[in-house]
Amino acid sequence: MSLTAVIHEQPAVPQPRQHGKPGGFLHRANVFTGLIGGIGLAVITYAVGSKLVPWGTQDADFQQVGLNALIFATLSAWVIGFMIGIGAFAGPIRWMLGHDLTHEDAEYMAGKGQGHMKYWKYTTDHKVVGMQYLIMALVLFALGGFFAMLIRTELGVTWKEVFDPNFYNSLIGTHGIVMIIAMIIVVAGPLGNFIMPLMIGARDMAFPRLNALSFWLLFAAVPPLAANLLLGGIRDGWTVYQPLGTQAPIGMLGYQVCIITFAFSTGIAGVNLITTIVTMRARGMTWNRVPIFVIGTLAAAIMGLVWFPMFQYSQILAASDRIIDTSFFIPQGGGSVWLYENLFWLLGHPEVYVIVIPVTGALLELMTVFLRKPLFSYKMAIAGFAGVVGISAVVWVHHMYMTGFAPSAGYPFMLSTELISIPFGFLVLVMLGTIWRGKVWTRLPMMAVYAMIWCKIVGGITGVYLSDVPVDQYMHGSMFVVAHFHFMLMGAGLFGAMGAIVYWFPKMTGRMFDERIGSIGFWTAFFAFQLTFMSMFVAGLQGMPRRVLQFDNAFNISNWVSTIGAYLIGAGMLIFLYAMITSWRHGKPATSNPWGAKTLDWQTQTPVPLENFPILPVVTSDPYGYGVPDPYLKVEEELARDDNETVGAR
Amino acid sequence: MKRLLFTVLTVLIGAGIVAGSVWLLMDRQAAPATLKAKIVGTAATPQGNLPHATLDLSIYPQSSASVPGPDTGVNAVIDKFGWPFYWPSTSLELPAHSLVTITVHQYDGASTVWNPYFAKVHGTVGGTASFNGKTKTEIDPANVAHTFTIHQYPQSTQPYFFVSVPMLAVADNAKNEANGYPKAEVMEFSFITGAPGDYIWNCEDPCGSGYVDFGAVMSERGWMSGTVTVV
Amino acid sequence: MSIDSQTPIDEPEVPTNRPEPTHRMKEWLSRPYVRRILLIFVILNIVIVPIAWLVVHFMELSGGPASSIMVELEKTVFVFTIVSAPLMAITASILIYSLLGWGRVTGEEPPMQESPAIRTNGIAVVAWVSATSLLATFLVIWGLMELATITSYAYGSTPANQQPNATKAIDVNVTGQQWLWTFEYPDQGKIESDVLVVPINTPLYFNVTSKDVVHNFWIVELGVKIDANPGAITNTGVTPDKLGTFNIRCAELCGLHHAYMETKIEVVTQDQFDSWLREQGGKRTI
Repeated sequence: MSLTAVIHEQPAVPQPRQHGKPGGFLHRANVFTGLIGGIGLAVITYAVGSKLVPWGTQDADFQQVGLNALIFATLSAWVIGFMIGIGAFAGPIRWMLGHDLTHEDAEYMAGKGQGHMKYWKYTTDHKVVGMQYLIMALVLFALGGFFAMLIRTELGVTWKEVFDPNFYNSLIGTHGIVMIIAMIIVVAGPLGNFIMPLMIGARDMAFPRLNALSFWLLFAAVPPLAANLLLGGIRDGWTVYQPLGTQAPIGMLGYQVCIITFAFSTGIAGVNLITTIVTMRARGMTWNRVPIFVIGTLAAAIMGLVWFPMFQYSQILAASDRIIDTSFFIPQGGGSVWLYENLFWLLGHPEVYVIVIPVTGALLELMTVFLRKPLFSYKMAIAGFAGVVGISAVVWVHHMYMTGFAPSAGYPFMLSTELISIPFGFLVLVMLGTIWRGKVWTRLPMMAVYAMIWCKIVGGITGVYLSDVPVDQYMHGSMFVVAHFHFMLMGAGLFGAMGAIVYWFPKMTGRMFDERIGSIGFWTAFFAFQLTFMSMFVAGLQGMPRRVLQFDNAFNISNWVSTIGAYLIGAGMLIFLYAMITSWRHGKPATSNPWGAKTLDWQTQTPVPLENFPILPVVTSDPYGYGVPDPYLKVEEELARDDNETVGAR
Repeated sequence: MKRLLFTVLTVLIGAGIVAGSVWLLMDRQAAPATLKAKIVGTAATPQGNLPHATLDLSIYPQSSASVPGPDTGVNAVIDKFGWPFYWPSTSLELPAHSLVTITVHQYDGASTVWNPYFAKVHGTVGGTASFNGKTKTEIDPANVAHTFTIHQYPQSTQPYFFVSVPMLAVADNAKNEANGYPKAEVMEFSFITGAPGDYIWNCEDPCGSGYVDFGAVMSERGWMSGTVTVV
Repeated sequence: MSIDSQTPIDEPEVPTNRPEPTHRMKEWLSRPYVRRILLIFVILNIVIVPIAWLVVHFMELSGGPASSIMVELEKTVFVFTIVSAPLMAITASILIYSLLGWGRVTGEEPPMQESPAIRTNGIAVVAWVSATSLLATFLVIWGLMELATITSYAYGSTPANQQPNATKAIDVNVTGQQWLWTFEYPDQGKIESDVLVVPINTPLYFNVTSKDVVHNFWIVELGVKIDANPGAITNTGVTPDKLGTFNIRCAELCGLHHAYMETKIEVVTQDQFDSWLREQGGKRTI
């Protein structure tokens, strides 16, 4: 393998004098000390706090407020205690005490010589963080999928309430937010952290310790969310519209602590990804030679960084409404429900693109490999990403057409929302153009591309319906919306992500994915998905509102079909998961470049060494130099000659 | 082949987990035992002679030794603030095409109803109810303790059904009697049921806590809301 | 980075000496794969277009349309489906043909490089961008005009922030409360009802509010939908033009009994409406 790289003799860099000895708490901290720290601090906070709350001296309302403050403090203490326990603050504290991290410490933190233990520690190596994100995403998908099965069971049993209505309302909310978090991290987490630095020829992320921080913050954010079901649930859908959220029991605080923490996590990850992509590309990787997946990650990171604080802020204000009796969203105290809705959807809509854009980038990347064709119109792909990032800032009101907060806002926001279909169309063009006349290598990752384009088209077209105010006047709040965003997030997002993970599986685990069983699972899930959500479109068109557990007999048939479909999706996903786990453990060992791809990530060895590349590569062209000259050009030339002869004869 | 078998096994385990969880969660949230209206004879109504059924309910401000309330299992944890509840059950069963008379003994204090509409009597025979023996169509919104409001299930095939009766509050300074509760206010009202169907009832008076006092007890099944089955 | 290309190629080579556009178009259309894709495209369109009728059929299953607004909504859905059909068909036909027609490679080893190295194609880009932009522009313009139309149907001939000038219009104060709808007729003796009874062909004007959390007032077959917000009154209107009983649902999660927050609207004749008013103790003011 001849890299077109120039090797420079690297002069020894003089190291500054180091203060302090290596070792200390950093070497002992791991997830278990984190758990001890988190649970310990939470228990102490609860014990001390419950002494401070004047129980029994006030009326029931005050007790509720006091209880809210206590639970909020306890859940926050869990997060802080966990981060202390896992050693997140050990480095900064050493600096404050005048000690450096020694070189040995830095290498220890990167996971050098620790075997599997490094996955349970505050490890800074981007590859370890990528794997941690992957596992986390799988756990969240399992949890969210389990909730989905319960929801569909309730909706399939049309003749009675299976669950308590409150429990059902909590289920849909928890399913929603768990899946949203899982979808946000499933591509930008594992692939953005593991693959992206390899792809741009970097030794690590720009801020390795922030990288670890972003993952462990996410890890700490999940238990409060899961705890909500034990604390009375969130009962409010994943949007937790206020003031209904204020009425819910203390489970709502689990949601709020989770979102506030998760927003820190995404913000930190976003800064890290952006800085890495902008500053750490290999020599020669000019902006027009950057692989398209990297651009997709950059676009998603920018959107997340800008818009996530809105969501975080909405939850901080909502928590303060509960805890200290403010009235940001309580009309009786001068607050506004529309303020919450605006803050929420300022993130709420760009977040969809945060999910879909990296998936699109990943699939564009792997299409070139499986079709042995260059990416069709790289510039259109860039323009598509840029257009989506830009316009996504000004479309949020289309979630609020029917709130009545500004009837005239329907006109401009209908315009902006439908305009976003044009840059999205660029991406479809790039995909279709790359497929055009290509010989397909029919492996599972490539099949995911077909699945994704189909779902994206269905989701996109129904999205155009919903962006239109008159149509939305019928569809808003109905099952049609549910089916639409599942086509976008699950159809385009998750099936695409499955393809991307299969594609990079050999690089990440060193083993080939079992595509035989994986395909069975993938296609079962895909066709069952069509069944489930196509039938849900019908329920929506008939006028079935969303988030209900009992409904008119008229919707029975479509709900039965949806439920059967959902069970089949569950079976398919389990088969896929089985294939993934067994290939991870006993799969065929992978060579360093099993797909014959040209991006840098496949040019280093598998498993990837600690600092990725023995010698940093120098890039001399873009990574899409596949294919042979177009045979039809010859035909055209002949035609041209014929033309000239004909003209000459005349 | 072995791998295919294991694949099937994975799916079966997954299905088992889901089925088991559904069963567990259903069981834990079982509704209280159904309270059936007793048929006591026939009655002359505007719709001719119909079977006459009666049902006795009570509303207690909190549980006590003599009235345990829905205070069992997981409910014991959330009831530590002393929630009011309907007793002996919130799952009611009424006969179809009959005159149903419900008598409510009410032991709880007042909280002003948000919507004066629910201080009025709706859907009963003659649009009236008897409050401590006096026939009225409405009571003072400030003196409402709870309401008993049956309303529609989202089912267009079954007859529309709406009954709402406010429950008079006991005075704040009323003395407790031997059973630990003050002297009850007694409400009695009758309505005519139609064809069989499933319905929902709940209290519309803000007697909970949290935002607009509709949280807590108002938002939990088994205290201030339940089901009505017409069979 | 590039393993086997000796000369770095960032931009496609532009072929020189190309024939006349018309000839190229003819040549392009004569390629077998182009013809087959066009054939699949036509077939798919024939399959997809009837979905437009199906979609409207589903929307009418529960008895609508019962107002001119709903008629407009259905028309919009119908037109959008028809307009989207070619987009969906062209995408699907390229996907289908690529699996069947341009050849497939299977196996473990990376295939030989046999696909044409098409870096871009100016004509295709321009054509696609103009087609999708035209489509989007059409949909935007259609949507804006429809929005203006249904707004005028909802509010009579007056703008949203004024009372309707149609003297015959009936005001209805709609109040959402966990988990019931109540209706008040302020000009008909302030009578109240749990069921919305209205006369046919009379403009209705709704003042919608909520006592507690956010609800959404949805009259399914009349195409009326507006949030009921606490602390604010939102307005909308409609003129029912079909006798019958239709569904009112809550379309915004509002807590425990959200699924049961339903009632009905009865569209009756003016005479029936008057006698209903008398029965309720209200008076006819119009």
